[in-house]
Amino acid sequence: MNNLTLALESAWKVLLIGVLIGAGLPAVFALGIRSMAFGTGGDAAAHAAGTAGPRPHPIGRIGAIACFTVVLLGVALGITFIVATGFGKELSFEHVYPTLVSKD
Amino acid sequence: MILALVVITALGFDFTNGFHDTANAMATSIATGALRPKVAVLLSAVLNLVGAFLSIEVALTVTNAVVNIQDTNGAPKAELTADGGTALLIIVLAGVIGGILWNLFTWLLGLPSSSSHALFGGIIGATVAGLGWAGVKWTGDGSKLDGVLGKVILPALMSPVIAGVVAGVATWLIYRITLGVAARFTDNGFRWGQIGSASLVSLAHGTNDAQKTMGVITLALIAAGEWSDTDDIPFWVRVSCALAIALGTYLGGWRIIRTLGKGLVEIAPPQGFAAESAAATVILTSSHLGFALSTTQVATGSILGSGVGRPGAQVRWAVAGRMVAAWLITLPAAGLAGALMWFVADLIGGVAGAITIFVLMLAAAAFMYQLSRRTPVDHNNVNDEWQDTRAKEYA
Repeated sequence: MNNLTLALESAWKVLLIGVLIGAGLPAVFALGIRSMAFGTGGDAAAHAAGTAGPRPHPIGRIGAIACFTVVLLGVALGITFIVATGFGKELSFEHVYPTLVSKD
Repeated sequence: MILALVVITALGFDFTNGFHDTANAMATSIATGALRPKVAVLLSAVLNLVGAFLSIEVALTVTNAVVNIQDTNGAPKAELTADGGTALLIIVLAGVIGGILWNLFTWLLGLPSSSSHALFGGIIGATVAGLGWAGVKWTGDGSKLDGVLGKVILPALMSPVIAGVVAGVATWLIYRITLGVAARFTDNGFRWGQIGSASLVSLAHGTNDAQKTMGVITLALIAAGEWSDTDDIPFWVRVSCALAIALGTYLGGWRIIRTLGKGLVEIAPPQGFAAESAAATVILTSSHLGFALSTTQVATGSILGSGVGRPGAQVRWAVAGRMVAAWLITLPAAGLAGALMWFVADLIGGVAGAITIFVLMLAAAAFMYQLSRRTPVDHNNVNDEWQDTRAKEYA
């Protein structure tokens, strides 16, 4: 029975982090795309059917770039994790921001 | 002689592992047209190659989770090497052959089964045949997730569900957020996201899976007395394993790519992006937590989830059902194949026995390849409209 409890414990964490990062980052990316469309204006942006699209909004581009930066940071973290694991290091979130530590 | 066969067979397994798993990372990118099929497999192959070199950790204890043929430091058990290692080599050889046979069979049916399970299954089967039931570590000692139950079966049941939920949530969010934005605009953006997330999956795959074969080959080298360092693996083993998995990936398991990319769900770029992001996150998180899981099952669960999460999308549950069935029987089926191979090798005995099962494997592989030529799937027709006939032809 112990194995089941342990597995559920891990599974719960994976699910939690998965939803936070695995669904969170794509959502931020989607937000970036929406923002970019808003920034581009015209037919790209959301608008009522039959009307001409809104004018371009520069603020949308800035928002989009901010969103994409967050996503890229997430990806960089992912790659660091893969590489670090390979070289016997571990990502530690002890100080909130990730740091590299030696595994045990 | 037996050692050479083990090395060749293990590299062969690594190769099948590569083409069996190309689909995990690239099926969605190919299906949505984000990447042309040939470019997708090339990208995945290169990333697998890089991934295999990225890791300097020694996966020598790869079999320790499920069978008792190694000590905790990775050296083979003394009683198995008393005869110059033959007993252990035959077990490993029979096990790996069992894994290859099951991988080829599921490839023929276009089913994305787990390559790790096939390898574990084969080795478990050969160990049971060679050492009896006590040779297998069914459960751990309760202090951590261990044994067949903790390292293979429980994660296998849970990981597709977790990945599916994550991908479902991601898909739903993406569609909510981009509601009303021109499709031309969103599709372009999500294609890039998709390529990025799929690349992460490929890289993680190379780092994880090539290691398993490296571990198996090094174990065989130690058993045969050709290598003694349990903290390192020979450089040529690393190079050849990396090349084998990359070559397999480049060849592309088109039959499986087709099933995952077209058969399960009709995938649009936002879904593909959500699925691969979810897969990448779940794979990385769980390896961080020591929760061993199968890339294949995570990827499949994610794609399924991306179908459920998109309002109005069609999910072919019959195809999903066949996959789940294949997952359930992967471990026992590869185990039976491994056990059978061990009995054949044992009956004939010694080098002749090892050669016999090696030849048997080649014959079976050639036969399945011939069967596959009847309904070829390659980079030209991988994206054709899905018609639910292929699996029935063999059923």
